[in-house]
Amino acid sequence: MRFSFVLSEVLTGLRRNVTMTVAMILTTAISLGLLGGGLLVVRMIDHMRDNFGDEVEVNVYLSKDVSGTDKDCQQQPCAGIKANLEQDANVEDVRWENQDQAFDRFQRVFAGQPELLQLTRKDSLPATFHLKLKNPDRADVIVQTYSNKPGVDRVEDQGVFLERFFGVLNGVRNGTWVVAAIQAIAALLLISNTIQVSAFTRRTEVGIMRLVGATRWYTQLPFLLEAVVAGLVGAVMAIGGLIGIKAVFIDNVLAEPIAANIIPRIPLLDIFWPVAPILIGVAILISAITGYVTLRLYVRT
Amino acid sequence: MIRLEHVSKTYKTSTRPALDDVSVDMDKGEFVFLIGPSGSGKSTFLRLLLREEVPTKGKLYVNNFDITRMSRRRIPRLRQSIGCVFQDFRLLVNKTVAENVAFALEVIGKPAHTIRKVVPEVLELVGLDGKANRMPNELSGGEQQRVAIARAFVNRPLMLLADEPTGNLDPDTSQDIMLLLERINRTGTTVLMATHDHSIVDSMRRRVVELSFGRVIRDDARGVYGVGR
Repeated sequence: MRFSFVLSEVLTGLRRNVTMTVAMILTTAISLGLLGGGLLVVRMIDHMRDNFGDEVEVNVYLSKDVSGTDKDCQQQPCAGIKANLEQDANVEDVRWENQDQAFDRFQRVFAGQPELLQLTRKDSLPATFHLKLKNPDRADVIVQTYSNKPGVDRVEDQGVFLERFFGVLNGVRNGTWVVAAIQAIAALLLISNTIQVSAFTRRTEVGIMRLVGATRWYTQLPFLLEAVVAGLVGAVMAIGGLIGIKAVFIDNVLAEPIAANIIPRIPLLDIFWPVAPILIGVAILISAITGYVTLRLYVRT
Repeated sequence: MIRLEHVSKTYKTSTRPALDDVSVDMDKGEFVFLIGPSGSGKSTFLRLLLREEVPTKGKLYVNNFDITRMSRRRIPRLRQSIGCVFQDFRLLVNKTVAENVAFALEVIGKPAHTIRKVVPEVLELVGLDGKANRMPNELSGGEQQRVAIARAFVNRPLMLLADEPTGNLDPDTSQDIMLLLERINRTGTTVLMATHDHSIVDSMRRRVVELSFGRVIRDDARGVYGVGR
């Protein structure tokens, strides 16, 4: 096998069909870019689960009159609830936050929004037990047990909010993948079409090759490699695009929630591993299979 | 070298067989004309030898390959043992004379140093030394056919198939091409030439196999194109 020969055939083929080649590369790139975006969302959800998994709290908010009168949780029903919580087998840690502390925290969190601070009075904020659970999956038991106790306003599981947020992200991911799949179909058809056009423009060469006894590797490998090279270029563009979008869009527009640690930063490393190898692998696999099937179906050997 | 035993070929789209119970033997080193009007089965005959088609019936051996039973993987080996020349030359217009000849070796994986050595040799054999770097469209018809013959012969095939090689050439040039084919034949290569050109057949006095409606109607050791023409 003479690689220099096959390689020069591939390059000539790509050059000869330059418009088709560009179209093929762009659709492949967009499709792979969307696939990669979806993969990054998956990674983001994983990161968030890791980050928040241990810190997800169940908050027991106390009713208005308990919050207003019992600052140190010395009286009933507050002291009773506290004792119950501390003895609960599911609870690992109980942290008490009275109305003053809650108001302090509120002022810190919303320091940037003075209108909100002016409108909010201290007595509208409840005193709270922040619970850390031994097993976050048992949160619903806690919610059920304490919701209707006297002095308790409501019990909230932060994990539920988090799951809702993950649900939104999963939706975004699925949407991205649907568009990616549609683009992938377009890319497939373009690859197939390009190979057919390429084979047609080179039918004289291929005819001579068959006649002088060239094996299928020689007659067909150039076409196959054309598709694979285009797929690879598309994959590289997709990876470049993801890096660009991350740098320009995500890191800038989402700077605040990232800084507040609400949304985890997407590390550049995530794009290089595992997203980049996956995209390259998918590109090679899909273009090679499409090329092979096209040659089998449409090009005589 | 070539042996057809009761070979028939019927195309799917046709009711009449293109070849009908043909039995022919050709030995190594023979020069054979295959004649007959258009549609008599000459092209089918050549296509069967190259295994572009498979016989519907009968047995067919070419250069020790059993055409009727060989696997597709072995087809390239068969074709490497056969050189082909056509009426329309079939040169690659964007390659020089030398590149056209070298192409036939490149695509079967011959090493570069071999190609550099044998291409000038074969160009000299066909009388094109000095024109290695010309483009095909700068050459006359006769010269283009010489390039095609050089390409067919460069891998030293056991057999040369020529399908109307003089069909596009004037009589003098045709004569030159015939001399060249004779020269190649003298190296021991079997030459099978399909043609309509009776003056050539008549002047060469070689074996003639005549086809008509797919049947062999004549096989003369030293024939002419047609009696009474």
